[in-house]
Amino acid sequence: MADILSFSDVSFSYRGDWLNRVRSLAGVSFAVPAGSAYGFLGANGAGKSTSIKLAVGLLSGQRGAISLFGRPVGDDALRARVGYLPEQPYFYENLQVHEYLVYLGRLSGLHGAALRAAVDRVSGLLDLAELGRRKLGSFSKGMRQRFGLAQAIIHQPDLLVLDEPFSGLDPLWRARFKEIMAAERARGATLFFSTHILADVEDLCDHYAVIDHGLVLEQGRLDTLIGAAPLALTARGPRPDGAEDLGDGSWRVLFPESERGARVSAVIAAGAEILRLERKHIALEDYFVARVRAFHAAGKPLGAP
Amino acid sequence: MILVIAGATCREALRSRSFLGLLAFYAVGVLLARVVGWISATDGDLVTTDLVLSLQALVGVLVAVATGTALVHSEIKQRTLYTVLSRPIARWRFVLGKYLGLAGALAAGQAAMLALGLLWLAATGAPLHGALLLAGLLTAVEVLVMAAVALCWTALTSPLLAAALGLATYALGHAVATLPGMLPYLGGWRMTLAAVGASLIPNLGRFAYRNDAVHGVPLPLAELGLTLVYGGLWIALLVAITVAVYRRKQL
Repeated sequence: MADILSFSDVSFSYRGDWLNRVRSLAGVSFAVPAGSAYGFLGANGAGKSTSIKLAVGLLSGQRGAISLFGRPVGDDALRARVGYLPEQPYFYENLQVHEYLVYLGRLSGLHGAALRAAVDRVSGLLDLAELGRRKLGSFSKGMRQRFGLAQAIIHQPDLLVLDEPFSGLDPLWRARFKEIMAAERARGATLFFSTHILADVEDLCDHYAVIDHGLVLEQGRLDTLIGAAPLALTARGPRPDGAEDLGDGSWRVLFPESERGARVSAVIAAGAEILRLERKHIALEDYFVARVRAFHAAGKPLGAP
Repeated sequence: MILVIAGATCREALRSRSFLGLLAFYAVGVLLARVVGWISATDGDLVTTDLVLSLQALVGVLVAVATGTALVHSEIKQRTLYTVLSRPIARWRFVLGKYLGLAGALAAGQAAMLALGLLWLAATGAPLHGALLLAGLLTAVEVLVMAAVALCWTALTSPLLAAALGLATYALGHAVATLPGMLPYLGGWRMTLAAVGASLIPNLGRFAYRNDAVHGVPLPLAELGLTLVYGGLWIALLVAITVAVYRRKQL
């Protein structure tokens, strides 16, 4: 599977106060495979939005290589294949929803009947058709987010880059956004989105990366991470060393997948009755917090990678 | 693409409250100009006509500086340009489109003010002649040059400082018009320095045909053409500098 977007040892700093430069990324490397749904996890200020702005060409001057559709980022024409939803998007206040969608659709290269059909399609998907004459300045945060997703998918991009897409949405619209993102992926688009809400990654993604203080701490397939979760064996009878007493006469022991055969055989041989053998669910949130805390505990100073 | 951006920018500007507010301010000013004309000791019609044309220039320049300094900066600050520049749009097209959109809105505002002013003059019995239209046209070009000046200053510094520098450029631009008469008195290297310095500032006096127009002094067509070309060249130069700066600027 070819990579749609890849960062290779990318560092970026911007001008802070006076002559100081603030380092935002410090050698970030990751790759987004074609057709994947890639969750970019990180706390506020971790470097997610900077990475995304570099990917969509809003920032430049980085060290290292960024590749988009197999070519160096920076070529204006490549962005025709990208749909982008900024974090907390703002729009011209005095333009109406319909004319704004037409405007941005035209900038994405749509014309005539194709443009009209695209505007109707995204207006329907995001419940904006009734609001066509409303000015964006009167929109709530959640409504702006809906418009933001509409403009990002209007030209059916090959890569959908969403910066905190669920921010400001109520539960119903969170669910709708997930459905639309799943539909976009089913259409063939690659999803790349940042979030600090880990349940969203668990729901949507097959790949993930954890970024903190401008460094990618970890990345990979989500099923590998989940597959690495330990097995939990609950049984009654002779209790092996290290097992946890559950108080009702039963006990539980955790072990990795690689020890499954030996452990189960040993329990049966000891005459215990197996009640349950299940994979202990890894809550990504717990994992993420533990991973970042371990990074901090290793002596990385806050605020500077 | 440039015209698409220009169209949206123009619509956004024409619908803004500040734009409509300044037009209302102009309307009130025009009404008061007639009152000043009535109470003036000299020819009331000339005073009123002069005030009406001057108000068009004053309001136009203030709008041009205010909106020119905010044009791209507010897009950066409010991040409205993210959804545009993440599309296949080169930055120079974006800046040029933004300027053309603003120019369209300013031109529409100038046309509305000129029409309103002339209608009011006609309604109150002041004599009208073609020179007033030409004066209004040249004022509009001056306003477009000032919008480009403000846009250029904003690319180089903060909006507040850019507004101050824009107004300073306006004052210097009119002072430059008097320079040719002063140059012989300077002499030597001072004359050369003054001439070089003056050439770096648009000579806005070229667009100030208002006084002559009020008195019905005709404007030769060749001079009108040269003045329009002069304004166009300054706009092109200033927008080109702005584009060059924004091409490298982090957003």
